Amino acid sequence: MSLKLPYLKYPDARTGGFFYAAVIPVHIALPAQNAPRSKRFEANIDSGASFCHFHSQIGRAIGLEIEKGVETETQGISGPTKIFLHDISLYLPGGIVTTCAGFSDRLPVSGLLGMTGFFEHFKVIFDPTALRCELERIFRA
Amino acid sequence: MTTVMVGAAEDRRLELLRSAPSDSWIALSEDETRIVASGATYEEVVKNSERAGVSDPLIIKTPKVWMPISV
Repeated sequence: MSLKLPYLKYPDARTGGFFYAAVIPVHIALPAQNAPRSKRFEANIDSGASFCHFHSQIGRAIGLEIEKGVETETQGISGPTKIFLHDISLYLPGGIVTTCAGFSDRLPVSGLLGMTGFFEHFKVIFDPTALRCELERIFRA
Repeated sequence: MTTVMVGAAEDRRLELLRSAPSDSWIALSEDETRIVASGATYEEVVKNSERAGVSDPLIIKTPKVWMPISV
């Protein structure tokens, strides 16, 4: 299955204009069968992220005890950030994946979809001429 | 559900985001044409969107100031 996602515009307060981002709505849940899902929220497609990151408030809402996860640090552009790792189910186009994702209260967006948990499941084209991102789900045997 | 927007709809969405409260959470209607709820936290915006009768909102975290993202 493939999906074409137009880049979306976001306000740029510095210029009064806008910038584009490639985003996709996702849900997350505890990895248990039939665990209740989060509401649909917007997550940025971010190949610079080694794995997926979500805001801790969404994690708490699905039942995670954030601070009981594996504490680690990630290196961001503004330095290291403490995060907590948890296994979750991530609802993506083409089906659910289970992945170990980072949770932080300091994340400035709802979620980031990174290399592990997202890009490993899709062929991705960022098309600057059509201003869209094309996703093709990869299903491995 | 993924809403595909072009042209005017995309610009209306941009204006919605400009008008949204900063450093908070907002819920857009299913078709992403209206802000149906907001809240200081994810839980609050979910409660408020349920009160507003919207069962499948799109939740967005708004920043203190909108600017390009690099995490």
